[in-house]
Amino acid sequence: MSAIEQTIIRVATIIINELKLEDVTPETFNPDLDLVDEVGIDSMDLATIALSIRDEFAIRIDEDDYPKLTTVRIIAEYIGDKLKEK
Amino acid sequence: MSVAEKSWKFADILASKEISARFEQVRRWFFLRESTYDMTNRCNIRCEGCYYYHGDKQFAPENGDPAAWQALMAAEKARGVTFVVLAGAEPALVPELCRECYGVIPLGAIATNGLKKIAKDIDYRLHISVWGNDITSRTLRGAADMLKRQIENYQNDARAVFVYTFTPANIAEAARVAETLTRHGLKMTFNMFSAPVGYTGPLRHNAASLAATAAMMRQLLRRFPETVLFSHYNIAAHTNAQGLHELFTCSYPRRNPSTAVGLGRSFRQYRADLNWDRAAACCVPDTDCTDCRHYAAGSAVVTARMYRHAENPQLFSAWLDYVDTYLAVWVKGYEKSANLLDSLVKPPTAG
Repeated sequence: MSAIEQTIIRVATIIINELKLEDVTPETFNPDLDLVDEVGIDSMDLATIALSIRDEFAIRIDEDDYPKLTTVRIIAEYIGDKLKEK
Repeated sequence: MSVAEKSWKFADILASKEISARFEQVRRWFFLRESTYDMTNRCNIRCEGCYYYHGDKQFAPENGDPAAWQALMAAEKARGVTFVVLAGAEPALVPELCRECYGVIPLGAIATNGLKKIAKDIDYRLHISVWGNDITSRTLRGAADMLKRQIENYQNDARAVFVYTFTPANIAEAARVAETLTRHGLKMTFNMFSAPVGYTGPLRHNAASLAATAAMMRQLLRRFPETVLFSHYNIAAHTNAQGLHELFTCSYPRRNPSTAVGLGRSFRQYRADLNWDRAAACCVPDTDCTDCRHYAAGSAVVTARMYRHAENPQLFSAWLDYVDTYLAVWVKGYEKSANLLDSLVKPPTAG
């Protein structure tokens, strides 16, 4: 499994736990689903998820970047870029 | 290393049972999605510096058709709005329209001057505006015996919260108003006069009035804890020399170009003709954003900035006190808890 795939699984796990999603696992979570339009998350969900990501990956997410974080894959790529900057 | 200097994980902040419990308590209300509606362009009084009678919105022709309002509410509900704020100019003058709104979206609040009683079947939170004692109100609002009449109308009414708007001219008299409201078992919260665009009158706050207001707010919070719905962090956020936009970057559409998520995506401010304009949409349109310390703005703007407050237990507790206050002020039936903090905390910078 590639690094990005591993990150996708970790992000999907966070989202499933935070949103208490049922009938989906980190492995079956479609990483290209639009989190707002298709999963139904809102800005406060996103802030909570961002805090869990901050804990898990030890990176900071700029509040201005929230609107860009529309899918699990995009979040995983964002995390990868942030980790490279460290 | 102090608590504030340590690098805290969010999970470690939530390890505090008190903080975790409060977070879970307020989190249950994160589903609230607000929009605001001017119900009519009429008002039964004229107040100095009223934001409604600045700008173009006052000239929108009224749509007084209950069926049109019902259809609007149904459409709003369909797009995810769960909380309505009925404002401008005086919603109590059009109870039939308020009733249509309540019939479709039963969570909400009405901003009213309190002079005309709103029937109990319209079971929204009621925000009754107070601008000082009856002498000051007579001068600034042109109406006699305002507080007396407001109390007569809303005595023993669980919907009512009296919103005291601090101006540089009415700071000292807030104590007597708080005493009166306490005597009648009524609830009170605080607002800050926020100048409309182009306003040059005497009510715009200055450094001295901000400091004096903060001191009075602290005094009233200490003296009347059962009456005053507020927190020390509300004081810090709303009496800062920097306005809310500068402190927290306002997320209403008027200042936020993003339509991806949050208020920039969902918030609308409808005029009395049932139209809205994204470029003007915020909770207090035509307010000068650099001077905005309005309680309604803070309720959304500070609340939305959870991430930047999750830096340490103290700052996150301050944010929780703010959100707890916001819910108690806006949601009928939500009971304010004791504040977690009893001291002022400086608002954080972005990041």
